[in-house]
Amino acid sequence: MSADPLRHRGRPRRSLAALLIVCTALLHVTAQELALPNAPDSVKFAVIGDMGTGEQEQYDVAQQMTRFHAKFTFGHVITLGDNIYGGQGPEDLVKKFSKPYKPLLDAGVRFYAALGNHDDPANVSYPLWNMGGQRYYAYVVKNVAFFVLDSDQLDPKQVDWITNALKTSREAWKICYFHHPLYSDGRTHGSSVDLRVVLEPLFVANGVNVVFSGHDHIYERTTPRKGITYFVSGAAGQLRKGDTNPSAMTAASFDQDRSFMLIEVGANDLAFQVISRTGVTVDKGTIHRSARAPESDLP
Amino acid sequence: MSRVVRFLPESIWALPIGAALALTWANALPESYYLFAHASRFVVNDVGLTFFLGIVMKEVWEAMRPGGSLHTWRKVALPLAASIGGAGASVAVFLLYVHTAGDRMLAPGWITPCAVDIASVYVVGRLLFGRHAGVSFLLMLAIAMNTIGLVALAVFGPVDGAHAASGIGLMALALGTAFALRRARVTSFWWYLLGPGVLSWWALYLSGVHPALALMPIIPFMPHAQRDVGLFVDAAPQAHDTLTMFERWWGRPVEGILFLFGLVNAGVPMHGFEVGAWAVPVAVIIGRPIGVLVASALAVGAGLHLPKHLRWPDIAVMGCISSIGLVMALFFASATFATGPLLQELKAGSLLTAFGAVVALVAARVLHVGRFAR
Repeated sequence: MSADPLRHRGRPRRSLAALLIVCTALLHVTAQELALPNAPDSVKFAVIGDMGTGEQEQYDVAQQMTRFHAKFTFGHVITLGDNIYGGQGPEDLVKKFSKPYKPLLDAGVRFYAALGNHDDPANVSYPLWNMGGQRYYAYVVKNVAFFVLDSDQLDPKQVDWITNALKTSREAWKICYFHHPLYSDGRTHGSSVDLRVVLEPLFVANGVNVVFSGHDHIYERTTPRKGITYFVSGAAGQLRKGDTNPSAMTAASFDQDRSFMLIEVGANDLAFQVISRTGVTVDKGTIHRSARAPESDLP
Repeated sequence: MSRVVRFLPESIWALPIGAALALTWANALPESYYLFAHASRFVVNDVGLTFFLGIVMKEVWEAMRPGGSLHTWRKVALPLAASIGGAGASVAVFLLYVHTAGDRMLAPGWITPCAVDIASVYVVGRLLFGRHAGVSFLLMLAIAMNTIGLVALAVFGPVDGAHAASGIGLMALALGTAFALRRARVTSFWWYLLGPGVLSWWALYLSGVHPALALMPIIPFMPHAQRDVGLFVDAAPQAHDTLTMFERWWGRPVEGILFLFGLVNAGVPMHGFEVGAWAVPVAVIIGRPIGVLVASALAVGAGLHLPKHLRWPDIAVMGCISSIGLVMALFFASATFATGPLLQELKAGSLLTAFGAVVALVAARVLHVGRFAR
């Protein structure tokens, strides 16, 4: 009596295993799927933050970025600070930056860095970060103006600079990025309210569309705050599993694995896709420039 | 309390009350708190605190005059050596901590661990030592360490190179005006404040140096009493010299300023304390007593003498007491970093230095010092 049931159970077990293999394969295929329009004239870039650990997970994310670059040729990567943790010597810059991202660098992808609290301020001159020796700077790619701030300390000079830069910018899209998030549901750090009271009025008054930050080692997208969508993307190397404490402002979040973002900006839409270390899409959607409100495609 | 220290114990409550309110407000309604703090920072930190530092400078200057407790190198050499050791060791521990933790952005905050909260140090000192002569030594230690911090701030702090020349010119004018007022035997402190004081403030502001230091170079020009009655000791009622009148007039307003200073600066989130929040208390609670003890031992080894009635355990406990940074630590932190998370971290650390009082109490008990003496 004891042998038969086992034999009988063997068939469904095999079927289950086969199903599992098929599902995994399917998941693997769909996991690598690009969910962005990939239009020829759009501005394409990737977003990483808090990545410079030099550990395997950072290399895994970098590898995933390279895979996606093959089908979505983003021209540049924005880094949201804490680009290098620990030692900051030349060997560290190789191990924690130029080596993991070598395939992208070799493909001509440019990195534009923001500084985090773990970065060495002297690295503003590191050529591969394209900071031009400045803590804060701006650059333009087609119809998108990027404003990079040093949120470690907002001295009056920097505030004057960003006020002026935002006011004089004529590009259709204005994107700001820096390390410390103005809005975050990360349990460890959360929102930097002292920065918010200074920066948010400037962003609102000058038509900033999207803001990217890191610091909390999670991914989070907020519902539009005064018309601006805020992303936290601080898990391209570091991770704080389960650190998100979702609130009314949380539109989407992911804190179970490392992640990075792909962004595509067209004339009126900004499409985003958030991809985990294993290649699974964990959030995606579109932000319309006029309304600024994102419409997520994910449930 | 006539002719005894009155300003210090009376002013000690101003900051903690302001700080407690700030902490509650910042954590309950952060947005409104930071809006208030951001709007008030300039008036309180850059203008109001000028008068507090003016009173501190008045004490230092009088103490350095003939008859003062810091007069003659013999009297001041040991506390000075101890303070150099205490400040140096605190800075070393701070830098070691932030570098080990990998938060290099905090390194420019190294001046913060030089701070000593004079009022708290006095009160804790009196609590542990009573009317022991060691309290004077402790005050000298505190003043010398703050002086080191203030000099470091002026020399190494943020400077706006573009306007440095105009700043130097204005400062020269301020000093010249103060000298002329002194030569003309002007005795009202208001002339010194409104003339050279304002010029000095403007000079520092233009140069990017913290303008709250403005009265420090002006105070020495104000006419002072013939003899110093002691550190932070109230002058005799018949004393009407310019410096005494300055302190009498500004004593009460400065208490209000310290309250506002606590309210504007001490509001930090009470969660997710980062490296800077730990680096400051660790630096002063570990570095300060070690530095004070080692430097004092070296100084005694080089031929100086310990003051009468002071033993090595007393010096160790004084090192612990001097780790309380509070007002001055908040000031140094705010003078080094602009708005942002690094400043928040150092502010939290400055508040945590209050635990230096607990450490001092435990050390006094263990070492049988002061009121715990057998």
